[in-house]
Amino acid sequence: MITKKRNLFLYFVLFLILILSIVGHLFSGQIAISFSDYWDSIFHFDPENTNQLIAREFRIPRLTMAIIAGAGLSISGMLMQTLFNNPLAGPYVLGINSGSSLFVAFTMMTGLSFFQSDFGIITSALIGALVFGFIILGFSLFVKSHISLLLIGLMLGSFTGALISVLQTFSSAQELKSFTIWTMGSLQHVQLNQLPIISIIFILGIGLSLFLIKPLNVLVLGEKSSEILGIHIKTIRIATISITAIFAGIITAFCGPIAFVGLAVPNIVRTVFKTQSHGKLIIGNLLIGATFLVISDAVIQYLEQWIQLPINAFTSIIGAPLLILIVLKRLK
Amino acid sequence: MIRFNKCEIGYKSVLIRIPELNLSAGTIYALIGANGSGKSTLLNTIINKKSLLGGELFIDSKNHTTFSAKDLAQKIAYVESKFDGVEYLTVEEYISLGRTPYTDAFGRLGEKDNQAILKAMEILNLHSFKEKFTLNLSDGERQLVAIARALAQTTPIIILDEPTAFLDYGNRIKLIQLLSKIALEEQKCIVFSSHDIDLCLNSSIQMLIVNQQNKTMELCPSAISKKEVLANGFGIKC
Repeated sequence: MITKKRNLFLYFVLFLILILSIVGHLFSGQIAISFSDYWDSIFHFDPENTNQLIAREFRIPRLTMAIIAGAGLSISGMLMQTLFNNPLAGPYVLGINSGSSLFVAFTMMTGLSFFQSDFGIITSALIGALVFGFIILGFSLFVKSHISLLLIGLMLGSFTGALISVLQTFSSAQELKSFTIWTMGSLQHVQLNQLPIISIIFILGIGLSLFLIKPLNVLVLGEKSSEILGIHIKTIRIATISITAIFAGIITAFCGPIAFVGLAVPNIVRTVFKTQSHGKLIIGNLLIGATFLVISDAVIQYLEQWIQLPINAFTSIIGAPLLILIVLKRLK
Repeated sequence: MIRFNKCEIGYKSVLIRIPELNLSAGTIYALIGANGSGKSTLLNTIINKKSLLGGELFIDSKNHTTFSAKDLAQKIAYVESKFDGVEYLTVEEYISLGRTPYTDAFGRLGEKDNQAILKAMEILNLHSFKEKFTLNLSDGERQLVAIARALAQTTPIIILDEPTAFLDYGNRIKLIQLLSKIALEEQKCIVFSSHDIDLCLNSSIQMLIVNQQNKTMELCPSAISKKEVLANGFGIKC
Protein backbone atom coordinates (compact mmCIF):
# COMPACT_ATOMS: atom_id res chain seq x y z
CA MET A 1 0.00 0.00 0.00
CA ILE A 2 2.85 2.34 0.83
CA THR A 3 4.43 1.63 -2.52
CA LYS A 4 1.11 2.32 -4.24
CA LYS A 5 0.91 5.80 -2.70
CA ARG A 6 4.57 6.37 -3.43
CA ASN A 7 4.04 5.47 -7.08
CA LEU A 8 1.00 7.74 -7.43
CA PHE A 9 3.03 10.56 -5.96
CA LEU A 10 5.87 9.77 -8.37
CA TYR A 11 3.54 9.83 -11.37
CA PHE A 12 2.23 13.19 -10.23
CA VAL A 13 5.70 14.67 -9.75
CA LEU A 14 6.92 13.29 -13.07
CA PHE A 15 3.85 14.64 -14.83
CA LEU A 16 4.52 18.08 -13.36
CA ILE A 17 8.15 17.92 -14.50
CA LEU A 18 6.98 16.95 -17.99
CA ILE A 19 4.58 19.92 -18.11
CA LEU A 20 7.34 22.24 -16.90
CA SER A 21 9.78 20.91 -19.49
CA ILE A 22 7.13 21.35 -22.21
CA VAL A 23 6.68 24.96 -21.15
CA GLY A 24 10.46 25.33 -21.08
CA HIS A 25 10.68 23.90 -24.58
CA LEU A 26 8.03 26.26 -25.96
CA PHE A 27 9.83 29.32 -24.68
CA SER A 28 13.45 28.30 -25.25
CA GLY A 29 13.75 29.24 -28.94
CA GLN A 30 15.62 32.19 -30.39
CA ILE A 31 12.45 33.95 -31.39
CA ALA A 32 10.34 34.69 -28.36
CA ILE A 33 6.79 33.55 -28.93
CA SER A 34 4.20 34.52 -26.38
CA PHE A 35 1.63 32.22 -24.89
CA SER A 36 -1.17 34.05 -26.71
CA ASP A 37 0.64 33.48 -30.01
CA TYR A 38 0.69 29.75 -29.29
CA TRP A 39 -2.97 29.86 -28.33
CA ASP A 40 -3.97 31.76 -31.44
CA SER A 41 -1.80 29.63 -33.70
CA ILE A 42 -3.95 26.67 -32.77
CA PHE A 43 -7.38 28.20 -32.35
CA HIS A 44 -7.42 31.47 -34.36
CA PHE A 45 -4.62 30.90 -36.81
CA ASP A 46 -3.58 33.96 -38.79
CA PRO A 47 -1.09 32.98 -41.53
CA GLU A 48 0.05 36.60 -41.85
CA ASN A 49 1.41 36.61 -38.30
CA THR A 50 5.03 35.39 -38.38
CA ASN A 51 5.11 34.34 -34.73
CA GLN A 52 1.98 32.27 -35.13
CA LEU A 53 3.39 30.76 -38.27
CA ILE A 54 6.61 29.74 -36.51
CA ALA A 55 4.61 28.35 -33.59
CA ARG A 56 2.33 26.35 -35.84
CA GLU A 57 4.80 25.18 -38.45
CA PHE A 58 7.92 24.62 -36.37
CA ARG A 59 7.62 24.78 -32.62
CA ILE A 60 4.51 22.68 -32.03
CA PRO A 61 5.47 19.86 -34.42
CA ARG A 62 8.98 19.79 -32.96
CA LEU A 63 7.69 19.62 -29.39
CA THR A 64 5.15 16.92 -30.25
CA MET A 65 7.83 14.91 -31.96
CA ALA A 66 10.11 15.22 -28.91
CA ILE A 67 7.34 13.85 -26.69
CA ILE A 68 6.50 10.99 -29.05
CA ALA A 69 10.09 10.06 -29.83
CA GLY A 70 11.19 10.15 -26.19
CA ALA A 71 8.25 8.10 -24.97
CA GLY A 72 8.25 5.69 -27.91
CA LEU A 73 11.96 4.94 -27.85
CA SER A 74 11.88 4.43 -24.09
CA ILE A 75 8.96 2.02 -24.26
CA SER A 76 10.55 0.05 -27.08
CA GLY A 77 13.78 -0.10 -25.05
CA MET A 78 11.82 -1.47 -22.11
CA LEU A 79 10.21 -4.10 -24.35
CA MET A 80 13.61 -5.20 -25.67
CA GLN A 81 15.17 -5.32 -22.21
CA THR A 82 12.48 -7.61 -20.86
CA LEU A 83 12.29 -9.77 -23.98
CA PHE A 84 16.03 -10.40 -24.06
CA ASN A 85 16.27 -10.34 -20.27
CA ASN A 86 19.10 -7.87 -20.69
CA PRO A 87 19.30 -4.39 -19.14
CA LEU A 88 21.65 -3.23 -21.89
CA ALA A 89 19.28 -4.01 -24.74
CA GLY A 90 17.54 -1.29 -26.71
CA PRO A 91 16.43 -0.60 -30.26
CA TYR A 92 19.65 1.29 -30.99
CA VAL A 93 22.22 -1.12 -29.54
CA LEU A 94 20.49 -4.14 -31.02
CA GLY A 95 20.64 -2.64 -34.49
CA ILE A 96 16.91 -2.12 -35.03
CA ASN A 97 17.46 1.58 -35.74
CA SER A 98 20.25 0.60 -38.11
CA GLY A 99 17.74 -1.50 -40.03
CA SER A 100 15.53 1.54 -40.43
CA SER A 101 18.50 3.68 -41.45
CA LEU A 102 19.59 1.21 -44.09
CA PHE A 103 16.16 0.95 -45.64
CA VAL A 104 15.61 4.71 -45.50
CA ALA A 105 19.04 5.27 -47.04
CA PHE A 106 18.13 2.88 -49.77
CA THR A 107 14.87 4.65 -50.54
CA MET A 108 16.28 8.15 -50.26
CA MET A 109 19.16 7.41 -52.59
CA THR A 110 17.50 5.28 -55.20
CA GLY A 111 15.57 8.25 -56.51
CA LEU A 112 12.38 6.29 -57.04
CA SER A 113 9.55 8.78 -56.75
CA PHE A 114 7.20 6.48 -54.81
CA PHE A 115 9.70 6.20 -52.00
CA GLN A 116 10.22 9.94 -51.72
CA SER A 117 6.77 10.36 -50.20
CA ASP A 118 6.10 10.26 -46.43
CA PHE A 119 4.38 6.98 -46.91
CA GLY A 120 7.41 5.55 -48.69
CA ILE A 121 9.83 6.62 -45.97
CA ILE A 122 7.59 5.40 -43.14
CA THR A 123 7.08 2.06 -44.85
CA SER A 124 10.74 1.53 -45.54
CA ALA A 125 11.73 2.52 -41.98
CA LEU A 126 9.13 0.14 -40.56
CA ILE A 127 10.22 -2.71 -42.84
CA GLY A 128 13.87 -2.07 -42.00
CA ALA A 129 13.16 -2.11 -38.26
CA LEU A 130 11.09 -5.29 -38.58
CA VAL A 131 13.67 -7.11 -40.69
CA PHE A 132 16.51 -6.26 -38.32
CA GLY A 133 14.32 -6.96 -35.31
CA PHE A 134 13.73 -10.47 -36.55
CA ILE A 135 17.41 -10.93 -37.45
CA ILE A 136 18.41 -10.11 -33.88
CA LEU A 137 15.56 -12.28 -32.59
CA GLY A 138 16.88 -15.15 -34.72
CA PHE A 139 20.35 -14.69 -33.24
CA SER A 140 18.93 -14.56 -29.71
CA LEU A 141 17.53 -18.07 -30.15
CA PHE A 142 21.06 -19.45 -30.52
CA VAL A 143 23.14 -16.92 -28.61
CA LYS A 144 22.30 -17.07 -24.92
CA SER A 145 25.08 -14.78 -23.68
CA HIS A 146 23.91 -11.19 -23.10
CA ILE A 147 27.17 -9.64 -24.17
CA SER A 148 27.43 -11.70 -27.36
CA LEU A 149 23.97 -10.60 -28.39
CA LEU A 150 24.89 -6.94 -27.86
CA LEU A 151 28.06 -7.47 -29.88
CA ILE A 152 26.01 -8.95 -32.71
CA GLY A 153 23.72 -5.92 -32.52
CA LEU A 154 26.68 -3.56 -32.70
CA MET A 155 28.14 -5.53 -35.62
CA LEU A 156 24.81 -5.28 -37.43
CA GLY A 157 25.10 -1.53 -36.90
CA SER A 158 28.62 -1.40 -38.35
CA PHE A 159 27.61 -3.63 -41.21
CA THR A 160 24.69 -1.43 -42.19
CA GLY A 161 26.95 1.59 -41.75
CA ALA A 162 29.29 0.10 -44.34
CA LEU A 163 26.44 -0.75 -46.69
CA ILE A 164 25.17 2.80 -46.40
CA SER A 165 28.63 4.13 -47.28
CA VAL A 166 28.62 1.98 -50.40
CA LEU A 167 25.16 3.31 -51.27
CA GLN A 168 26.41 6.86 -50.80
CA THR A 169 29.04 6.47 -53.48
CA PHE A 170 26.27 5.88 -55.99
CA SER A 171 24.08 8.77 -54.96
CA SER A 172 23.91 12.33 -56.16
CA ALA A 173 25.19 15.26 -54.12
CA GLN A 174 21.67 16.36 -53.25
CA GLU A 175 20.60 12.90 -52.07
CA LEU A 176 23.79 12.56 -50.09
CA LYS A 177 23.21 15.87 -48.37
CA SER A 178 19.63 15.13 -47.38
CA PHE A 179 20.60 11.71 -46.07
CA THR A 180 23.54 13.02 -44.06
CA ILE A 181 21.30 15.61 -42.41
CA TRP A 182 18.81 12.86 -41.69
CA THR A 183 21.42 10.68 -39.93
CA MET A 184 22.29 13.47 -37.52
CA GLY A 185 18.88 13.07 -36.06
CA SER A 186 16.57 15.99 -35.75
CA LEU A 187 13.16 16.69 -34.33
CA GLN A 188 12.57 19.73 -36.51
CA HIS A 189 11.99 18.09 -39.88
CA VAL A 190 8.51 17.01 -38.94
CA GLN A 191 5.73 19.01 -40.54
CA LEU A 192 2.37 19.79 -39.07
CA ASN A 193 0.50 17.68 -41.60
CA GLN A 194 2.62 14.64 -40.70
CA LEU A 195 1.72 14.79 -37.02
CA PRO A 196 -1.65 13.00 -37.27
CA ILE A 197 -0.19 9.87 -38.87
CA ILE A 198 2.74 9.80 -36.42
CA SER A 199 0.42 10.30 -33.46
CA ILE A 200 -1.96 7.59 -34.63
CA ILE A 201 0.85 5.06 -35.05
CA PHE A 202 2.30 6.09 -31.68
CA ILE A 203 -1.02 5.65 -29.87
CA LEU A 204 -1.54 2.37 -31.68
CA GLY A 205 1.88 1.21 -30.42
CA ILE A 206 1.02 2.18 -26.83
CA GLY A 207 -2.35 0.44 -27.12
CA LEU A 208 -0.77 -2.74 -28.43
CA SER A 209 1.92 -2.74 -25.77
CA LEU A 210 -0.78 -2.80 -23.08
CA PHE A 211 -1.53 -6.34 -24.22
CA LEU A 212 2.08 -7.27 -23.51
CA ILE A 213 1.91 -6.24 -19.85
CA LYS A 214 0.83 -9.64 -18.60
CA PRO A 215 3.25 -11.81 -20.62
CA LEU A 216 6.17 -9.45 -19.94
CA ASN A 217 5.46 -9.54 -16.21
CA VAL A 218 5.77 -13.32 -16.38
CA LEU A 219 8.72 -13.25 -18.78
CA VAL A 220 11.02 -11.80 -16.12
CA LEU A 221 11.01 -15.32 -14.66
CA GLY A 222 12.65 -16.68 -17.80
CA GLU A 223 11.25 -18.40 -20.84
CA LYS A 224 10.81 -21.90 -19.42
CA SER A 225 8.88 -20.76 -16.37
CA SER A 226 6.72 -18.49 -18.52
CA GLU A 227 5.82 -21.31 -20.87
CA ILE A 228 4.87 -23.55 -17.98
CA LEU A 229 2.61 -20.75 -16.71
CA GLY A 230 0.79 -20.93 -20.04
CA ILE A 231 2.46 -18.06 -21.96
CA HIS A 232 3.02 -18.58 -25.69
CA ILE A 233 6.62 -17.46 -25.95
CA LYS A 234 6.79 -17.49 -29.75
CA THR A 235 3.74 -15.23 -30.11
CA ILE A 236 5.08 -12.88 -27.46
CA ARG A 237 8.49 -12.66 -29.14
CA ILE A 238 6.96 -11.79 -32.49
CA ALA A 239 4.51 -9.30 -30.95
CA THR A 240 7.21 -7.58 -28.90
CA ILE A 241 9.62 -7.25 -31.82
CA SER A 242 6.81 -5.96 -34.05
CA ILE A 243 5.72 -3.30 -31.57
CA THR A 244 9.33 -2.23 -31.03
CA ALA A 245 9.74 -2.02 -34.79
CA ILE A 246 6.63 0.14 -35.07
CA PHE A 247 7.98 2.62 -32.50
CA ALA A 248 11.59 2.57 -33.66
CA GLY A 249 10.59 2.61 -37.34
CA ILE A 250 8.23 5.58 -37.20
CA ILE A 251 10.56 7.61 -34.98
CA THR A 252 13.64 6.81 -37.04
CA ALA A 253 11.78 7.67 -40.24
CA PHE A 254 11.04 11.21 -39.09
CA CYS A 255 13.85 12.04 -36.69
CA GLY A 256 16.73 9.90 -37.90
CA PRO A 257 18.55 7.62 -35.52
CA ILE A 258 18.40 8.81 -31.90
CA ALA A 259 20.85 6.93 -29.72
CA PHE A 260 20.72 5.79 -26.10
CA VAL A 261 17.27 7.07 -25.13
CA GLY A 262 15.83 3.59 -25.50
CA LEU A 263 18.61 2.14 -23.44
CA ALA A 264 19.06 4.69 -20.67
CA VAL A 265 15.49 5.69 -19.85
CA PRO A 266 14.07 2.21 -19.07
CA ASN A 267 16.95 1.65 -16.65
CA ILE A 268 16.28 4.98 -14.96
CA VAL A 269 12.57 4.13 -14.75
CA ARG A 270 13.23 0.75 -13.15
CA THR A 271 15.55 2.29 -10.58
CA VAL A 272 13.06 5.05 -9.76
CA PHE A 273 9.93 2.89 -9.52
CA LYS A 274 11.65 -0.23 -8.20
CA THR A 275 9.17 -2.54 -9.84
CA GLN A 276 8.90 -5.23 -12.50
CA SER A 277 5.24 -4.51 -13.12
CA HIS A 278 5.17 -3.52 -16.76
CA GLY A 279 1.97 -1.50 -16.48
CA LYS A 280 3.76 0.88 -14.13
CA LEU A 281 6.94 0.70 -16.20
CA ILE A 282 5.07 1.73 -19.36
CA ILE A 283 3.64 4.83 -17.63
CA GLY A 284 7.07 5.55 -16.15
CA ASN A 285 8.79 5.26 -19.52
CA LEU A 286 6.16 7.42 -21.15
CA LEU A 287 6.66 10.21 -18.62
CA ILE A 288 10.42 10.04 -18.12
CA GLY A 289 11.15 9.27 -21.78
CA ALA A 290 9.11 12.23 -23.01
CA THR A 291 10.62 14.52 -20.38
CA PHE A 292 14.15 13.40 -21.21
CA LEU A 293 13.86 14.20 -24.89
CA VAL A 294 11.84 17.41 -24.39
CA ILE A 295 14.49 18.76 -22.01
CA SER A 296 17.32 17.62 -24.32
CA ASP A 297 15.68 19.33 -27.27
CA ALA A 298 14.91 22.46 -25.26
CA VAL A 299 18.61 22.72 -24.44
CA ILE A 300 19.51 22.24 -28.09
CA GLN A 301 16.93 24.84 -29.08
CA TYR A 302 18.34 27.26 -26.54
CA LEU A 303 21.91 26.67 -27.74
CA GLU A 304 20.93 27.22 -31.37
CA GLN A 305 21.86 30.89 -31.18
CA TRP A 306 25.49 29.78 -30.84
CA ILE A 307 25.72 26.23 -32.11
CA GLN A 308 23.65 23.74 -34.12
CA LEU A 309 23.77 20.55 -32.10
CA PRO A 310 22.20 17.44 -33.61
CA ILE A 311 19.90 15.62 -31.18
CA ASN A 312 21.71 12.33 -31.78
CA ALA A 313 25.00 13.85 -30.64
CA PHE A 314 23.37 15.31 -27.56
CA THR A 315 21.67 12.08 -26.43
CA SER A 316 24.93 10.18 -27.02
CA ILE A 317 26.89 12.67 -24.92
CA ILE A 318 24.51 12.02 -22.02
CA GLY A 319 23.68 8.40 -22.82
CA ALA A 320 27.12 6.85 -23.34
CA PRO A 321 28.50 7.75 -19.89
CA LEU A 322 25.19 6.63 -18.39
CA LEU A 323 25.58 3.27 -20.11
CA ILE A 324 29.06 2.88 -18.64
CA LEU A 325 27.64 3.72 -15.22
CA ILE A 326 24.97 1.04 -15.56
CA VAL A 327 27.56 -1.54 -16.61
CA LEU A 328 29.80 -0.63 -13.67
CA LYS A 329 26.86 -0.84 -11.27
CA ARG A 330 25.96 -4.30 -12.59
CA LEU A 331 29.53 -5.57 -12.22
CA LYS A 332 29.57 -4.83 -8.51
CA MET B 1 -4.17 -38.07 -10.99
CA ILE B 2 -1.25 -38.89 -13.26
CA ARG B 3 -1.45 -42.19 -15.15
CA PHE B 4 1.33 -43.64 -17.27
CA ASN B 5 0.49 -46.27 -19.86
CA LYS B 6 3.40 -48.03 -21.59
CA CYS B 7 5.36 -44.78 -21.55
CA GLU B 8 8.78 -44.48 -23.12
CA ILE B 9 10.69 -41.41 -22.03
CA GLY B 10 13.96 -40.03 -23.32
CA TYR B 11 15.54 -37.85 -25.98
CA LYS B 12 16.76 -39.89 -28.92
CA SER B 13 17.00 -43.20 -27.11
CA VAL B 14 14.66 -44.43 -24.40
CA LEU B 15 15.91 -43.59 -20.91
CA ILE B 16 12.95 -44.69 -18.82
CA ARG B 17 10.13 -47.17 -19.45
CA ILE B 18 7.01 -47.00 -17.35
CA PRO B 19 4.73 -49.95 -18.16
CA GLU B 20 1.86 -48.97 -15.89
CA LEU B 21 1.75 -46.48 -13.05
CA ASN B 22 -0.82 -44.41 -11.21
CA LEU B 23 0.10 -41.43 -9.07
CA SER B 24 -2.68 -40.29 -6.78
CA ALA B 25 -3.78 -37.11 -5.02
CA GLY B 26 -2.81 -36.52 -1.41
CA THR B 27 0.52 -38.29 -1.89
CA ILE B 28 4.10 -37.15 -2.27
CA TYR B 29 6.51 -39.11 -4.46
CA ALA B 30 10.29 -38.85 -4.51
CA LEU B 31 11.85 -39.59 -7.86
CA ILE B 32 15.17 -41.34 -7.23
CA GLY B 33 17.77 -42.27 -9.81
CA ALA B 34 21.40 -41.89 -10.81
CA ASN B 35 22.71 -38.86 -12.68
CA GLY B 36 21.72 -39.10 -16.32
CA SER B 37 19.04 -41.69 -15.61
CA GLY B 38 16.42 -39.36 -17.09
CA LYS B 39 14.76 -37.87 -14.01
CA SER B 40 14.61 -34.35 -15.42
CA THR B 41 13.51 -35.70 -18.79
CA LEU B 42 10.64 -37.50 -17.08
CA LEU B 43 9.58 -34.33 -15.24
CA ASN B 44 9.84 -32.31 -18.46
CA THR B 45 7.68 -34.92 -20.14
CA ILE B 46 4.99 -34.60 -17.50
CA ILE B 47 4.87 -30.80 -17.92
CA ASN B 48 4.72 -31.33 -21.69
CA LYS B 49 8.00 -29.55 -22.46
CA LYS B 50 9.18 -32.82 -24.00
CA SER B 51 7.10 -35.33 -25.91
CA LEU B 52 6.80 -39.02 -25.16
CA LEU B 53 8.73 -41.45 -27.35
CA GLY B 54 5.89 -43.93 -26.94
CA GLY B 55 2.81 -44.71 -24.89
CA GLU B 56 0.31 -42.37 -23.30
CA LEU B 57 0.20 -40.13 -20.28
CA PHE B 58 -3.05 -39.06 -18.68
CA ILE B 59 -3.68 -36.12 -16.39
CA ASP B 60 -7.06 -36.42 -14.67
CA SER B 61 -7.87 -39.23 -17.14
CA LYS B 62 -7.32 -36.90 -20.09
CA ASN B 63 -4.42 -37.43 -22.51
CA HIS B 64 -1.90 -34.77 -21.60
CA THR B 65 -1.03 -33.80 -25.17
CA THR B 66 -4.62 -32.60 -25.66
CA PHE B 67 -4.24 -29.84 -23.05
CA SER B 68 -3.66 -26.26 -24.16
CA ALA B 69 -0.72 -24.52 -22.47
CA LYS B 70 -3.14 -22.56 -20.29
CA ASP B 71 -5.23 -25.59 -19.32
CA LEU B 72 -2.13 -27.58 -18.43
CA ALA B 73 -0.93 -24.65 -16.31
CA GLN B 74 -4.16 -24.97 -14.34
CA LYS B 75 -3.37 -28.66 -13.70
CA ILE B 76 0.37 -28.73 -13.10
CA ALA B 77 2.65 -26.29 -11.31
CA TYR B 78 6.40 -26.63 -11.75
CA VAL B 79 9.20 -25.50 -9.45
CA GLU B 80 12.72 -25.30 -10.83
CA SER B 81 15.64 -26.44 -8.70
CA LYS B 82 16.72 -22.86 -8.25
CA PHE B 83 14.92 -19.54 -8.45
CA ASP B 84 17.55 -16.84 -8.58
CA GLY B 85 15.27 -13.95 -7.78
CA VAL B 86 14.54 -10.99 -10.02
CA GLU B 87 15.59 -7.40 -9.43
CA TYR B 88 12.76 -5.26 -7.99
CA LEU B 89 10.30 -8.15 -8.04
CA THR B 90 8.67 -8.44 -4.61
CA VAL B 91 7.74 -11.73 -3.00
CA GLU B 92 4.05 -10.89 -3.27
CA GLU B 93 4.32 -9.93 -6.95
CA TYR B 94 6.25 -13.12 -7.64
CA ILE B 95 3.68 -15.32 -5.90
CA SER B 96 0.87 -13.57 -7.75
CA LEU B 97 2.47 -14.62 -11.06
CA GLY B 98 1.22 -18.09 -10.13
CA ARG B 99 -2.23 -16.78 -11.04
CA THR B 100 -1.18 -16.21 -14.67
CA PRO B 101 -3.25 -19.12 -16.08
CA TYR B 102 -6.40 -17.62 -14.53
CA THR B 103 -6.12 -13.85 -15.04
CA ASP B 104 -7.52 -11.82 -17.96
CA ALA B 105 -5.53 -10.45 -20.90
CA PHE B 106 -4.08 -7.66 -18.75
CA GLY B 107 -3.19 -9.92 -15.84
CA ARG B 108 -5.54 -8.20 -13.38
CA LEU B 109 -6.10 -10.07 -10.13
CA GLY B 110 -9.65 -10.80 -9.01
CA GLU B 111 -11.09 -11.74 -5.63
CA LYS B 112 -10.39 -15.45 -6.17
CA ASP B 113 -6.81 -14.72 -7.21
CA ASN B 114 -6.11 -12.63 -4.13
CA GLN B 115 -7.51 -15.37 -1.90
CA ALA B 116 -5.26 -17.99 -3.51
CA ILE B 117 -2.22 -15.73 -3.06
CA LEU B 118 -3.09 -15.04 0.58
CA LYS B 119 -3.60 -18.72 1.27
CA ALA B 120 -0.29 -19.68 -0.33
CA MET B 121 1.52 -17.08 1.79
CA GLU B 122 -0.29 -18.33 4.88
CA ILE B 123 0.65 -21.97 4.32
CA LEU B 124 4.31 -21.08 3.98
CA ASN B 125 4.19 -18.33 6.58
CA LEU B 126 5.51 -15.66 4.23
CA HIS B 127 3.44 -12.66 5.31
CA SER B 128 6.28 -10.97 7.13
CA PHE B 129 8.40 -10.61 4.00
CA LYS B 130 5.89 -10.20 1.21
CA GLU B 131 7.21 -6.70 0.46
CA LYS B 132 10.82 -7.89 0.22
CA PHE B 133 12.56 -8.11 -3.12
CA THR B 134 13.10 -11.70 -4.30
CA LEU B 135 16.73 -10.89 -5.16
CA ASN B 136 17.50 -10.14 -1.52
CA LEU B 137 16.33 -13.47 -0.08
CA SER B 138 18.47 -16.42 1.01
CA ASP B 139 18.44 -19.61 -1.09
CA GLY B 140 16.18 -21.31 1.45
CA GLU B 141 13.70 -18.42 1.52
CA ARG B 142 13.64 -18.26 -2.27
CA GLN B 143 12.80 -21.95 -2.47
CA LEU B 144 9.87 -21.42 -0.09
CA VAL B 145 8.70 -18.45 -2.14
CA ALA B 146 8.89 -20.56 -5.30
CA ILE B 147 6.73 -23.22 -3.67
CA ALA B 148 4.26 -20.55 -2.58
CA ARG B 149 4.09 -19.42 -6.21
CA ALA B 150 3.28 -23.00 -7.21
CA LEU B 151 0.62 -23.21 -4.48
CA ALA B 152 -0.97 -19.97 -5.65
CA GLN B 153 -1.37 -21.67 -9.00
CA THR B 154 -3.93 -23.93 -7.22
CA THR B 155 -3.10 -26.97 -9.34
CA PRO B 156 -3.85 -30.54 -8.27
CA ILE B 157 -0.29 -31.52 -9.28
CA ILE B 158 3.03 -29.95 -8.30
CA ILE B 159 6.30 -31.05 -9.92
CA LEU B 160 9.63 -30.03 -8.37
CA ASP B 161 13.02 -30.58 -10.00
CA GLU B 162 15.57 -31.29 -7.26
CA PRO B 163 14.10 -28.73 -4.85
CA THR B 164 16.66 -29.55 -2.15
CA ALA B 165 19.76 -29.34 -4.35
CA PHE B 166 20.87 -25.90 -3.20
CA LEU B 167 19.74 -26.11 0.43
CA ASP B 168 21.65 -26.88 3.60
CA TYR B 169 20.84 -30.03 5.54
CA GLY B 170 18.42 -28.39 7.97
CA ASN B 171 16.49 -26.70 5.18
CA ARG B 172 16.34 -29.99 3.26
CA ILE B 173 14.60 -31.74 6.14
CA LYS B 174 12.23 -28.79 6.62
CA LEU B 175 11.39 -28.62 2.93
CA ILE B 176 10.64 -32.33 2.60
CA GLN B 177 8.44 -32.26 5.70
CA LEU B 178 6.68 -29.19 4.41
CA LEU B 179 6.00 -30.78 1.04
CA SER B 180 4.64 -33.95 2.71
CA LYS B 181 2.34 -31.82 4.82
CA ILE B 182 1.09 -29.86 1.81
CA ALA B 183 0.43 -33.06 -0.17
CA LEU B 184 -1.67 -34.44 2.65
CA GLU B 185 -3.51 -31.33 3.82
CA GLU B 186 -4.15 -29.80 0.40
CA GLN B 187 -4.75 -33.20 -1.24
CA LYS B 188 -2.19 -32.55 -3.95
CA CYS B 189 -0.13 -34.97 -5.98
CA ILE B 190 3.49 -33.88 -5.51
CA VAL B 191 6.42 -35.36 -7.44
CA PHE B 192 9.96 -34.23 -6.76
CA SER B 193 13.30 -35.54 -7.95
CA SER B 194 15.91 -35.87 -5.27
CA HIS B 195 19.16 -37.46 -4.15
CA ASP B 196 18.21 -37.30 -0.48
CA ILE B 197 17.49 -41.02 -0.07
CA ASP B 198 17.99 -41.02 3.69
CA LEU B 199 15.63 -38.13 4.27
CA CYS B 200 12.96 -39.72 2.11
CA LEU B 201 13.32 -43.07 3.88
CA ASN B 202 13.09 -41.37 7.28
CA SER B 203 9.93 -39.49 6.34
CA SER B 204 8.57 -42.70 4.73
CA ILE B 205 7.95 -40.94 1.45
CA GLN B 206 6.94 -43.15 -1.47
CA MET B 207 9.79 -43.58 -3.90
CA LEU B 208 9.78 -43.87 -7.66
CA ILE B 209 13.08 -45.53 -8.52
CA VAL B 210 14.58 -45.58 -11.98
CA ASN B 211 16.13 -49.03 -12.21
CA GLN B 212 19.67 -48.89 -13.59
CA GLN B 213 19.62 -52.33 -15.21
CA ASN B 214 16.35 -52.51 -17.09
CA LYS B 215 15.63 -48.76 -17.28
CA THR B 216 12.15 -49.08 -15.89
CA MET B 217 10.63 -46.89 -13.24
CA GLU B 218 8.59 -48.49 -10.53
CA LEU B 219 6.84 -47.42 -7.40
CA CYS B 220 8.63 -49.00 -4.48
CA PRO B 221 6.88 -50.48 -1.49
CA SER B 222 7.06 -48.06 1.43
CA ALA B 223 8.95 -50.58 3.57
CA ILE B 224 11.91 -50.65 1.19
CA SER B 225 15.38 -50.69 2.73
CA LYS B 226 18.23 -48.39 1.82
CA LYS B 227 20.15 -51.42 0.57
CA GLU B 228 17.44 -52.20 -1.99
CA VAL B 229 17.22 -48.57 -3.11
CA LEU B 230 20.95 -48.47 -3.74
CA ALA B 231 20.92 -51.78 -5.55
CA ASN B 232 17.99 -50.92 -7.82
CA GLY B 233 18.64 -47.28 -8.48
CA PHE B 234 22.40 -47.07 -8.53
CA GLY B 235 23.61 -50.64 -9.08
CA ILE B 236 25.54 -50.57 -5.82
CA LYS B 237 25.75 -53.87 -3.97
CA CYS B 238 26.46 -53.54 -0.28
